[in-house]
Amino acid sequence: MRIPLEARIESAVCPGCACLCDDIDVTVVDGRVYQAANICLWGASKVLGHKRFHPKKERRRLAQPLIRHRGRWQTVSVDAAIDRTAEILIKARQPVVYGLTNAGCGAQAAALQVARQAQARLEPADLAWKAPYYQSLKKYGVFWATLEVIRDEADTLVFWGANPLHSCPRHVVRYSIFARGRFTERGYDERRLAAVDIHRTELADLVELFLQVEPGQELSLLQEVLTATAAAGGAVSKKARRLAAMLQEAHYGVIFFGRGVSYGPTPELLDGLAGLTARLNEHTPFVLFPLSTDFNAVGLYHLLLRELGSPLAPDFGAGEVSFHAEPLRWTDVDALLVVGADPFWFLSAAEIQDLHERRVPVVALSPVANRTTGHAEVVLPVALAGVETPELAYRMDGLPLSLPALLPASLPSDQQLLQQLAAALGCSHRGMACV
Amino acid sequence: MATLAEIREFLPNSDCGQCGLTCAEFAEFLQRHELAPEDCPVLHELDYAGFIEALREVLGEPQTKPAAGMAVDPKKCIGCGICVTLCEYHLGNCADVRLSKGPRDLEQVIFHIVNGLVVVVHQEHCTRLVQAAEKCSKCAQHCPTKAITLY
Repeated sequence: MRIPLEARIESAVCPGCACLCDDIDVTVVDGRVYQAANICLWGASKVLGHKRFHPKKERRRLAQPLIRHRGRWQTVSVDAAIDRTAEILIKARQPVVYGLTNAGCGAQAAALQVARQAQARLEPADLAWKAPYYQSLKKYGVFWATLEVIRDEADTLVFWGANPLHSCPRHVVRYSIFARGRFTERGYDERRLAAVDIHRTELADLVELFLQVEPGQELSLLQEVLTATAAAGGAVSKKARRLAAMLQEAHYGVIFFGRGVSYGPTPELLDGLAGLTARLNEHTPFVLFPLSTDFNAVGLYHLLLRELGSPLAPDFGAGEVSFHAEPLRWTDVDALLVVGADPFWFLSAAEIQDLHERRVPVVALSPVANRTTGHAEVVLPVALAGVETPELAYRMDGLPLSLPALLPASLPSDQQLLQQLAAALGCSHRGMACV
Repeated sequence: MATLAEIREFLPNSDCGQCGLTCAEFAEFLQRHELAPEDCPVLHELDYAGFIEALREVLGEPQTKPAAGMAVDPKKCIGCGICVTLCEYHLGNCADVRLSKGPRDLEQVIFHIVNGLVVVVHQEHCTRLVQAAEKCSKCAQHCPTKAITLY
């Protein structure tokens, strides 16, 4: 489809975060976004190509495929970069396809195909806290509602290790704290709110009950809340009693949890939160809701469930597929293909040093220069998913939304490159020359 | 006060950077009367003859600072839109905001979210100006980054 150089697109979908806000009005002039209305700073940074925490500072876009040769970058053709990537993945014993939470559904499906062909492990970037969540769902059952139902009905909201103002800023306005719905017409004024975090966040000024806990104390607080809701004997602190009372008085409640749970004993915390939700559900509707950050994190788990029947990280290396709930041990990796993520942003200095010492080749597919592309051996620039190429993405509650292209693309999409890579891997395995 | 869209109709919109700003930023400065139409070098070209006069007409005379008002600090704002949702004027006059959406471009509202930042468009509708300064301060009170200052 040809994208006009000048256009006004109303009600576009924002690929900034997993909220996928669908009320964005975009004005395109001369083939670039001139103005985007109703978009938060996170979304604007993606659509306008700015740095996320420094608005009006442009991010450096990657223009041509690069290969590192004797420590220096060489500009190469796409085919040469794909061939080099295929060579790296074939030679590796334990290759890993990492990330994909910031990629569209098409790219995720193609990456799964690459992982199969390369006999690699596919590791979602947020596996550390999503895998225990899916395991707890399996144990206790599904408590689920769409964001619209939550907006319309929820009168009690708890944010556990989650700060929507940092991960998805318009969530609080469109679906949770301030949103007005069918049975919550007064919005903020008729909701009871609580938050649990190890830092004092912006939520502290907005919620009725803010519980700041010491790192590592979340589980004991949760156990106290469980004890208080069970009305069993046992020592319960005043703050846990207050939180338990708030939860028990709810008519429709939601416990949002975020990346914060991954800093504690994650499986135990999520088991406790799911157990608490199940107990509360005996009397009143209660939902346990992961506050995904990346725009299509949920799409990846839908794909894994649909294709493989498990939301855990699949490993195609051992002949037949095996699934892992534990996050990747970086010391085991010997080749890394990164799509839609920037793992070198959060890896510790020791882990990065180890990857360097073992000369683990890193291949990065990215629209912009980031830390991972700085450490990569092969860099493949791609178009921005959902801005320059049309994509399908799943909102944080699992609703699939179509993201039309807003701008013409000068680079291939990550889906195209991954499909090309899968074909190259398929040919190499069969000992054929790819045409 | 002229809206940004009205001002931009008379700007080159080429983002040439000769003034050190993009045309959207230049329009914001014009709206606040911090720059004059003559400051755009491109408007002095023959192709744009008459645009400077037209812009002066659109902008009107700079208004004196109202007795009460508000300012949004663009360095602190994250564009979450809490102020847009909580504004009492919006609640009564903008159906989109009542449905937890953002207002459309041409709606006569106090706040718009443009390029990730909240901008004050029609301050004259604010309850604080129409009735009394102590009537409402929800936008500043609930701003998570304390970006809104009321005076």
